[in-house]
Amino acid sequence: MNTILECNSLTKKFSNVTALSNVSLTLERGRIIGLLGPNGSGKTTLIKLMNGLLVPDAGTLAIDGKKPGPETKRIVSYLPDKTYLPEWMRISDTIEFYQDFYEDFDANTAMDMLKRLQLDPSRRLKALSKGTKEKVQLILVMSRKADLYCLDEPIGGVDPAARDYILNTIITNYNENAAVLISTHLIADIERVLDDVIFIKEGQITLQSSVDDIRMKEGKSIDTLFREVFKC
Amino acid sequence: MLKKLLKHELKATSRYITPIFLILFLFTILNKIILGLDIFKGMFKGALKIIPGIAITGYVLSLIAIVVVTFVILVVRFYKNLTSEEGYLMFTLPVKSNQLVNSKLLIAMFWTVLSILAVILSLFLLFMNEFDPGLFFGSIRKMWEEITRAFHGNAVLFVIEIIVTVILTLINSFLQIYVSIAIGQLFNGHKLIGSFGAYIGINLVLQILFTIAVAVTGVVFHSFNDIRDITTLFFPILIVVFLVINGIYYAITNYLLTNKLNLE
Repeated sequence: MNTILECNSLTKKFSNVTALSNVSLTLERGRIIGLLGPNGSGKTTLIKLMNGLLVPDAGTLAIDGKKPGPETKRIVSYLPDKTYLPEWMRISDTIEFYQDFYEDFDANTAMDMLKRLQLDPSRRLKALSKGTKEKVQLILVMSRKADLYCLDEPIGGVDPAARDYILNTIITNYNENAAVLISTHLIADIERVLDDVIFIKEGQITLQSSVDDIRMKEGKSIDTLFREVFKC
Repeated sequence: MLKKLLKHELKATSRYITPIFLILFLFTILNKIILGLDIFKGMFKGALKIIPGIAITGYVLSLIAIVVVTFVILVVRFYKNLTSEEGYLMFTLPVKSNQLVNSKLLIAMFWTVLSILAVILSLFLLFMNEFDPGLFFGSIRKMWEEITRAFHGNAVLFVIEIIVTVILTLINSFLQIYVSIAIGQLFNGHKLIGSFGAYIGINLVLQILFTIAVAVTGVVFHSFNDIRDITTLFFPILIVVFLVINGIYYAITNYLLTNKLNLE
């Protein structure tokens, strides 16, 4: 009923490496979920499958009951872990682009956020630093009223001060109807905003639980638990 | 959604292509003026001869550029927009992969046809000294009558077949590159080399198939003994062959970009 995403026995291989193996999970609306795992654990592969950039080798994945395609892309707002906007565009061009293709995009929200972060819309992306580009991308993605946000490493490249602003943006900009999936390994920074966590290790889900449950049962912060589970 | 894709495709490509059109236009005007001056006054003598020399060189280069550079820009656009990081933006839009390919192909065809027309118009402007409508349309009518006589009244069919073949050939040259890029992007870290390799590979296969086809159907072509066979046999076969090849390229490109997308 409240499920936005469901996947069953999802498997994805790259030549002979298994990136995801038999992953089953359900995401509920109204939750902020952390997808936590070390580098190379399959976080990005899972998110790419959700966005139709990869096709699974086995298993099923449904967003709002539908297979990834134009219908699901309309309601999923995706932030890749890449700088993916064409370099020649001005910030204002990217806003026009999003407005043209996404019905749920609100240009006013985007302009407000640009102003708050003191970014001039007439600047070309070419002239921006990597961190600033990531801010622009996050502003575009969070200015949509989507049903599911997939944020792949949203705070990796930005300074701590901007991190706080971005996390606040994520909390304040989504509605109860939406789920936010945040993949990261910077857990300490992001822990306070999470409702649920998913631990992923070597392509398999090892834990899915609410943050409150973990704190009660284990008596530990997510960061501490993560360090224990993924100890090298 | 296709309309919006076309709009943004046009915007992204015209940034590079419009300046080339402008340069050709300026060189055409410049040469027109120099030709006019020289014919009536003979003013470019001695060292001054370098001026018309530079002007005509620039003109020829811009004629080549408008065809070659436009083509290269369109191919690079496809490669960069769909297989590099920009692919993350394009392939998560609420559109189907084939709409992305359609928008690229339509805009590519638009620019290619426009660049060919620009070359014709420019040559026309430069070398038609005095435009005599009577003479011009008269000679066109004469040419038309000649064709009609040669094809026993089938001149319309002949012209339509030529136009269709030219369009299919242009589409073919883009689709062969698109399918090569769709294959090349499968090779992690070697996408560009992979694309070139795929292109060469496809050409080899085509050559082999063509050789076999000629050997097998040689009989058919030997039986050409009437000029009318050109319109009733030769062009129809050519058109069907191009339609089939283009269809195959298009289907493979869409399949690979939908199911085997490999963005880094």
